[in-house]
Amino acid sequence: MTDPNLHAHDASFRDPSGYVFVEEGIVKRRILPIYFPQYKALKEQRIYDTLIRKELLIPHQETEVSEAEILLTPEQIPYITYPYEWGFEQYKQAALLTLKLQKYLLSKGFILKDASAYNITFHKGRAVFIDTLSFDFYEENTPWRAYKQFITHFLGPLILTKYHGPEMLKMMQTHIDGIPVSLIASLLPGKTKLNPTLYTNIHLLAKMESKHQEDYEAKTSIAKLSKKAQDNMLKGLFQFIQKLALKKDTEWGNYYEKTNYDAKAFEAKKKLVQQWVTQLKPDRLIDMGGNDGTFARTVRAKVAHVMVTDIDTNAVDQNMRQMQKNNETNMLPWVCDVLQPAPGIGFHNTERSSMIARLQAYQPDVVMALALIHHITLSGNVPFEKSAAFFASFSNTLLIEFPKRTDSWVTSLLVRKREFKGHFDHYNQSQFEAAYERFFECVEKQPIAGTERVLYHFKRKDSVKPKA
Amino acid sequence: MNFLYFDPGLGAMIVQALVAAAAGILLFSKNVMYKVKSILGLTKDDPEEDSIDIEDETDTHDRS
Repeated sequence: MTDPNLHAHDASFRDPSGYVFVEEGIVKRRILPIYFPQYKALKEQRIYDTLIRKELLIPHQETEVSEAEILLTPEQIPYITYPYEWGFEQYKQAALLTLKLQKYLLSKGFILKDASAYNITFHKGRAVFIDTLSFDFYEENTPWRAYKQFITHFLGPLILTKYHGPEMLKMMQTHIDGIPVSLIASLLPGKTKLNPTLYTNIHLLAKMESKHQEDYEAKTSIAKLSKKAQDNMLKGLFQFIQKLALKKDTEWGNYYEKTNYDAKAFEAKKKLVQQWVTQLKPDRLIDMGGNDGTFARTVRAKVAHVMVTDIDTNAVDQNMRQMQKNNETNMLPWVCDVLQPAPGIGFHNTERSSMIARLQAYQPDVVMALALIHHITLSGNVPFEKSAAFFASFSNTLLIEFPKRTDSWVTSLLVRKREFKGHFDHYNQSQFEAAYERFFECVEKQPIAGTERVLYHFKRKDSVKPKA
Repeated sequence: MNFLYFDPGLGAMIVQALVAAAAGILLFSKNVMYKVKSILGLTKDDPEEDSIDIEDETDTHDRS
């Protein structure tokens, strides 16, 4: 017999119930007989139906049924974002969705058998649960066995972010199984011990875990927890997380208010972007460094799927709030530091793929990089050749804005270089063009009226296309 | 049937009774406060606030 996991997706090997695989570019899910009883019960009791109709679970079609396997074809998600690429609001929504599902399942005689943050991603403007096989039967009076995972994947990162800022969310990148409870407890200020929710869920949990970690023979009998008590636990966590808010103000949040060009110049840039995007008719567009989505929004209606990334989690949150308020379901905001995009992590470095790998699979028709190159070049010290190669690795068409040396932002960035200012003489239009034209053809360039900036429309040369 | 493919943590299983008890007391006292406030007319409902409860489907006729 061949290894059933032979063609499994690199992120799908932990759960014996089945696995995800990719066939001719379509993501599918194979359910193995060990999970048939659960699957059939969930289907018969219309749990899947209800959760799909409520848009909490990714919809799927049963495409093949035999004694050996059941194949599901889920609705395809254009781009999967990972927990370390979410803003605080997104993270909160994912946590709340997990609790909601557990509470609902419990009332139906089921449970979430794991509470991994990777079971959730953002699709059509909201958090959606994507692991269709994460449900199991509830056994009367048993505690929630995914509880600790919920703390290490959700409550821990959220509460650390509240006290230490959004940088803490990136800790998920180095801890694929969640942040260890003892580490969460040690990083929290002492006053959190006075909060009953945090005392019990973090500090007491850490203590109990260290006390029982040497119980190798599983001698201690398993604890009991009534359904009512578990309901209270879930409700308590839900209300606590719902009220969590960040203190830190944004560095970019009001960028458009303090930016250096006036309303007229802003309009000129908007018009130009709109005009070019309309001509290009893209299906998939990504605006890198797109702040709260202001520019992406001006073309949103003309593009099927729009992604907006920014280094600032607050801008991403701001974008998310606007999207949900206006019901803009074709947008996907996520956090990305262009100078250190998400790498491939986990076992074999392939469990969670790198940003570049995912963007190459996404194949954006248009990549926009407005007001970004001076940060990459002057703050990040990245030579034009290197940034051009970076964009060429995933962009067919690149719309990139170049602020000239006379632009006030550039002047200010150069002044901050002090005695090393001379090292940045290469920051000029002709060197920029020379480097980018090694990878791209310049289709058009236009000065933006009322500014010291130029907008370029580049098309990638066939000779530099990455191999499929 | 259960397959424990990851370690739930024994401490984490035991602590849930205490977490639930603390949450129970908190929820109860919040409820009391809410009732007192509503008698005094100090409550304001936030319609945008999401609830943990997933309503069951009541209409089963519109499936096509």
